[in-house]
Amino acid sequence: MAEIPPDIFFNSISELNAKLRAKEFSCHELTQAFCDRMERIGPRYNALALSLRKDAITKAKDVDRELKRDRTRGALQGIPYGVKDLLAVKKQPTTWGAKPFATQVFDYDAHVIERLDKVGAILIAKLSMVELAGGGDYRTAAASLTGPGLNPWDRTRWSGGSSSGPGAAVAAGLVTFAIGSETSGSILTPSAFCGLTGLRPTYGLVSRQGAMALSWTLDKLGPLCRSAEDCGLVLHEIAGVDLQDPGSAGRSFNYNPKYNRKPTDITVGYMPVDFEDGAEPSAQPAFRAAFEVIKSQGVTLKEIQLPEFPYGALVGTIIAGEAGSIFEEFIRSGKVDQLADPHQIAGLKAMLDLPSTEYLRAMRVRSLVKAAFHDLFLNCDMVLAPTRLGPANKVAEPLDAPGPPTKSRGGLIPGGNLAGLPAISLPCGFADGLPLGISLLGRPFYENQLIAIGDLFQKQTDWHRRRPPMEG
Amino acid sequence: MRPERRITTYNGRMDISRRQLAGVILAGTAAAQAPPPPTTGQSGNTELESARSARRTAAQIIARVPLPMTTEPAFQFKA
Repeated sequence: MAEIPPDIFFNSISELNAKLRAKEFSCHELTQAFCDRMERIGPRYNALALSLRKDAITKAKDVDRELKRDRTRGALQGIPYGVKDLLAVKKQPTTWGAKPFATQVFDYDAHVIERLDKVGAILIAKLSMVELAGGGDYRTAAASLTGPGLNPWDRTRWSGGSSSGPGAAVAAGLVTFAIGSETSGSILTPSAFCGLTGLRPTYGLVSRQGAMALSWTLDKLGPLCRSAEDCGLVLHEIAGVDLQDPGSAGRSFNYNPKYNRKPTDITVGYMPVDFEDGAEPSAQPAFRAAFEVIKSQGVTLKEIQLPEFPYGALVGTIIAGEAGSIFEEFIRSGKVDQLADPHQIAGLKAMLDLPSTEYLRAMRVRSLVKAAFHDLFLNCDMVLAPTRLGPANKVAEPLDAPGPPTKSRGGLIPGGNLAGLPAISLPCGFADGLPLGISLLGRPFYENQLIAIGDLFQKQTDWHRRRPPMEG
Repeated sequence: MRPERRITTYNGRMDISRRQLAGVILAGTAAAQAPPPPTTGQSGNTELESARSARRTAAQIIARVPLPMTTEPAFQFKA
């Protein structure tokens, strides 16, 4: 067996695929090495929900047979990946990160897993998550069946939520990419906290068939990767029409960088306070430096104001209305009391009291939000802002503990989710030894252009290539 | 080809034999490190009242947004 050099665990998709095609090592050897690493290191960060070694090795041998016959199936052929444990994997436990669902099993694979399987990607593990994707308004990082998601950059810090396992696993080199979900921030937050590039696609672009539903009108699936290019390669394979998902937009996505507009033809909107003194003090220098890098690309920068809406209250009310209906039986049965976070238990129970008029009012105001973002994008092509205003929270502290004072209004994560818009988070530096991320938010189905600007940013910086200081 | 048995809601439904379920239970899942389940009682009631209060506050904040009577909810139904 060829020995897999440690650098391989941090290779990009393209690098890894090229080495497989050049037969530097077999897919079997690669998969075995990733499975060993996942099982050895994954628990250190509470990132592993379930190893899928046996099936992964079988599929890896199939890929080796194909490569021997020079049968190629695209950039993801032979690439090890993981999925958040809210995606169904046939005949394997799908826990949704929650004790009451610890023995739940489905008899089919989620649509995205089927798609990735068809192009030869190798699913090696299910990855941990905040219980029920945190829909009941969780207040502790420990709100998970597998314990708090620990950050590979510093295990006293959170890896973010609710895609905690995907964030930690990609950052620690346990998989080359992972599939997470976002209702309001669950892809972008772990990406920023763990130093990853994460892409939240336009609502409806990626089928959610086989995923736990938290909010029918807000849920999205997307990739957490090392680079913008990797996000493009994964999205290319997982996006597309699916009649099994009522929210499917009926659109496909072709990752084709050469057809993008030049940066000089792009207008980037921003709020000055975000890059002056709006973020946490320790993070301000990194955000200012990132702003200068974007500026140096030759884009036109334009000051904007984010539309004024109570984004947090709207997202909370819409999730309450939809999750309250989805989990009604679970709540009424009393099984909800088995969850780990008392705040989340109470939040779920309180959902049953929500009057329909309040839910509908939130959805009507959401129409105004969508219209306001539509108008915003008449004046610019994308919006640049810090993904989060500082580095990852301390695991030991409540997630709502007051942090350093900030002047930025935030709102881009809930606002973008309410309007169903795509966003990409890019690693942009460090504060207190922890990664930070900046986000680009675009108009619907504008993923290619977001990836292009992200890719250019990553050609000028090396933040996305930094690795956590891991022992052993 | 897709399997014929498909669901129309994306959170699906459970479908497993007793034998499979027994195997899964025995195999177990990742070690649970979360704190033990909270007890219901006075602290649970306090949390619940706090959650209800937060919902009421959110409703009051949303109610301050001027909303034309003609504005429809942001649903997107497809025929």
